[in-house]
Amino acid sequence: MSVYKHDYRPYTGKVTPRWMRIYVLSRYGAAEAWSSKITVGLFVLSLLPLVIFLIGIYLANNPLARALILKGSSGTMDINAGYFLKMLEFQSWLALILTAWIAPRLISFDLADNALPILLSHPVSRFGYVLGKFLALFMFLSVVTWVPCLLLFGYQAYSSPLPWFAAHFSIAVGLFTGAVLWITVLCILGLALSSWVKWRVVATGAIFAAVFVPAGVGAIMSAILRTRWGFLLNLPMMMSVLWQRMLGAQSIFAEKYALPTPAILTMLLASCICFAAMLNARIRAREVVRG
Amino acid sequence: MSDHAATPDRIQFENVSKFYGEVLGVNKVTLSIPPGVTTLVGPNGSGKTTLMNLMTGLVQPSSGTISVLGLFPGNATEFFRAVGYCTQFDSFPRGLSGWQFVFDSLMLHGMDKMDAFRLTVEALDRVQLGDAAGRPIASYSKGMRQKIRLAQAIAHHPRVLILDEPLNGLDPMARAESLTLFEELGRQGMHLVISSHILDEVDRISDRVVLITGGYLIAEGNIQQVRQEVRDKPMQVLIRCDHPELLASRMFSINHCVEARLHADGQGVFLRTGDIDQFYSMLNGIAAEGLIKINAVAPADDDANAIYQYLIGSDGSAS
Repeated sequence: MSVYKHDYRPYTGKVTPRWMRIYVLSRYGAAEAWSSKITVGLFVLSLLPLVIFLIGIYLANNPLARALILKGSSGTMDINAGYFLKMLEFQSWLALILTAWIAPRLISFDLADNALPILLSHPVSRFGYVLGKFLALFMFLSVVTWVPCLLLFGYQAYSSPLPWFAAHFSIAVGLFTGAVLWITVLCILGLALSSWVKWRVVATGAIFAAVFVPAGVGAIMSAILRTRWGFLLNLPMMMSVLWQRMLGAQSIFAEKYALPTPAILTMLLASCICFAAMLNARIRAREVVRG
Repeated sequence: MSDHAATPDRIQFENVSKFYGEVLGVNKVTLSIPPGVTTLVGPNGSGKTTLMNLMTGLVQPSSGTISVLGLFPGNATEFFRAVGYCTQFDSFPRGLSGWQFVFDSLMLHGMDKMDAFRLTVEALDRVQLGDAAGRPIASYSKGMRQKIRLAQAIAHHPRVLILDEPLNGLDPMARAESLTLFEELGRQGMHLVISSHILDEVDRISDRVVLITGGYLIAEGNIQQVRQEVRDKPMQVLIRCDHPELLASRMFSINHCVEARLHADGQGVFLRTGDIDQFYSMLNGIAAEGLIKINAVAPADDDANAIYQYLIGSDGSAS
């Protein structure tokens, strides 16, 4: 057979900007995450504490309602940095549970199904692929962390006299920065571990283990060596210290255990670099060694 | 990657090697693939998929340069607009219907929704999967999954279509339809690179073959040309005539004619010769004598299957 007609016409229409392709992958990821009823259940569950915090703000700003509902209680409720710190902590740990459930669905499935060669033979780089999945998870976690926290902050600012907002604006900044920092770490950690474990349930366990096992090891190190630096392996403690400082809340840790902020940030950055390296090593289009 | 290897109408490999650690993928491959249908032939583990992954930019060469129609994988938008890849693996992103798979693939290629819709309909029609498009891929038969992968690969109108074992799992009817589609695309000037073990069928549509084994290129080019290059294996020719026994005895007297075998229907003879030019010259002479009426002459072993057997052998080791 010979080639006798060159009348094949490739597509010459317009193409969308590159970020749109990352958005398609995010949409893929979000659709995959929401396809599970457990995801929906966890999401609803993670919003319940916010209802309680909302009621708290309402009662704090309505003495009459407080008197009617909390009969016999003569104390006043103070909505301050400590209140929002508790809210942020609650939501952040719920975000960890959501990450452990959702992150494996975003990456492990693609690896288990050998779908990467298909996805990466599109104008999407490995970085674009990971960014798409990252954004899907980040948006999901945002909806249960900084977005509702800021909404409740806004409600408190609306319900209280104007000077409250001006005096406590730093809390809003702390809520946003602290939550974004935490969910960024969670997203990278979740995606990195999911990329190394094809089995979703094992990946879920690995995410919890990656947070709590080093914390235990760090506590043992600190106790044996009588140093506070072992707590640099304790992600929950590091984040609590960081949030408390960002929101300007009262410290709950003894001063001798308090780690310097630059050390915490350096540790978080180093962890993120390690997780990014794990992703880089694992997210490959290659399907077989030879064939 | 340097630009010196770029050729706007060819897939170019220049001294390309790929090692996976200490394992050899392909070694020092230099190849230039023009438009039309090119078949990659080789045993399992010979490096066919590595060559295809290199062509699609899914793996980077350890050394050497590759360009596809003058494009390099670094320019992803232009490169993947020109290339369509159908992997050999029966794998898909989870939970998608056939329609979503093709439509989202087009969105990933950067089409807007209108174009993506139109091209999805066109691609699904082309592989005759329109009716099942709304069903989840998980419910598809193996042949349907093969078709939906093909639809995804051709939907964005690539200029280069790389198909890794595209006939696996297809029933004879679907295979024939696919081959017709490949042939049509090849004739229209598309670059089709196909790897397949079903040599008899791809042989029918192939313009050229690339034989590879153990990561090394054994031969490439037009099937007939490659066959003629294999001089140590006598060529077999089928001659249809009215006196096959007489022709066999005449031709067998030539010392480069090494084998003669009568056709089962008694109306022809298979002859093997070590010197095809002198053979045809002798045959002309016999025909001119008029004693034997020669009806047809056709090479009997210049197909991909025969070349595979001669150059690679049934055990997969190049001879």
